[in-house]
Amino acid sequence: MEKLNILVLEDDKLAQKVMAAQLGAHNVDLAGDLKTALKKLETGRYDIGFFDLMLGPDDDYSGLKAIAAAAGKGVHAVVVSSSDSDEIIDRAYELGAGDFYAKGNEESNVAEILRKFIQNRKAAGAADIFTTSFITNDAETREAAREALKYAPTELPILILGPSGTGKTSLAKVLHEHSGRDGAFVSINCSAYTEDLLEAELFGYKKGAFTGAADSRKGRLLEAHKGTLFLDEIGTMSLGMQTKLLKAIEERSFYPLGSDKPERSEFRIISATLEDPQDLIAKGKMRFDLYQRVHGYTINLKPLARRKGDVFLLAQHFTKGGKRLSFTGEAKEWMENYAWPGNVRELKKFIDLLSSGTGGRIALEAVQKHLKSASARRPAAETADAVYADALQRGLEAALEKVSDEIISRNLRENEGKKTRTLADLKISTRLLYATLKRCGIALQGDKE
Amino acid sequence: MDATKLLHDLKSKCASLKSAAELFKDCSAGEKKEMLALMTAAAEEIVKTVSALNKAA
Repeated sequence: MEKLNILVLEDDKLAQKVMAAQLGAHNVDLAGDLKTALKKLETGRYDIGFFDLMLGPDDDYSGLKAIAAAAGKGVHAVVVSSSDSDEIIDRAYELGAGDFYAKGNEESNVAEILRKFIQNRKAAGAADIFTTSFITNDAETREAAREALKYAPTELPILILGPSGTGKTSLAKVLHEHSGRDGAFVSINCSAYTEDLLEAELFGYKKGAFTGAADSRKGRLLEAHKGTLFLDEIGTMSLGMQTKLLKAIEERSFYPLGSDKPERSEFRIISATLEDPQDLIAKGKMRFDLYQRVHGYTINLKPLARRKGDVFLLAQHFTKGGKRLSFTGEAKEWMENYAWPGNVRELKKFIDLLSSGTGGRIALEAVQKHLKSASARRPAAETADAVYADALQRGLEAALEKVSDEIISRNLRENEGKKTRTLADLKISTRLLYATLKRCGIALQGDKE
Repeated sequence: MDATKLLHDLKSKCASLKSAAELFKDCSAGEKKEMLALMTAAAEEIVKTVSALNKAA
């Protein structure tokens, strides 16, 4: 936990003791009078100051002077006083107080003040993450990430939505780093495992639990104790596995495979999926109760094609400290207009390829060569992403038309140009077939059949 | 001391006593001894303040 430097201005010995106990985990200095407090504030070493206002029975709210001194040194001034008339509250805020609390609820108030202070300080420093760990210049994406960061220090689960390669894992790591949790960030891609393997990975197993279990192994849930468990591609998890996970989330305990002794783990869940969770629920692929457990706050990340300003920013970031790249104007223009169906992951691979290749300024041909060959190797999920990105870029109608053209042309080729077969195979109208042939520049000849 | 200041003093001491009582259960044996001494002193001050308030009224 982050240790803060705190000054407490309080004349009452019992109140001093209470504050010292509440702030025990931090570096606390006590001042029993204004003079001592002002001297200490001069050092400029404090993050927060807790100030009583009436220092002694005949005092005339001299603690107010400490507020101004603290504000002048950039110290977050918190008033904890029994003098809570509107006039005094207004005066305290005018002098620069950050918070004003009535004395008597220190047990709950102090913890809340510190939590908020740490959270706000991290949020204020969040600008750094956009140049270091979650690179983006896109105003909308920055705003969405900033909003998500507000929930980082809470227990609330976070669900990150977005196409493959948009930085969901990077954002999850950033959220963990801003959570103030002592435990580790533990990530697992649910799509990379069969149901049995996923269960063993998540819950762990005892030696001999199954063939090949030569030693006991700790599961990811236990590794994430007091930390964050990041479940990537949660939408691919089987319903049976979802039931087991739901039970572990609800009970905060689970049985490793082959064990009759339950393990406890206080993990916080951040999950991600490239699919629409509502759609998954409607199709019966996701349990509604699991969804309820993982979607406390939802953030949607945009594909790279809709964050055009980020292409060269990311390219610069990927080559930082290594070989820097230079693109011709034509190459830059082409890259800016490219759909980047694999998003940031595709851009990273592309930059790695260019960095390892020949030197000199990178021309359009080199860019096209690498990106086109990457497109050809793209698996089904990425193809869906490509169509999606294209739809975002050129509109849904144009994107669907392109898909339609590709399907019709391919079927026609496979049917060796026999149009009646294509009409029957694809159950399309003659009008659509001829419009496609015209668009694709395929000669309008009589049916070969 | 006027009644307003006496009342403030009273509120302040009562609040400290309440917070100390809430904290008491989590204190170590040594801290409890120290806390009890401070709580006793605060309670005596409260009695004095109430008496002064009585006289001022």
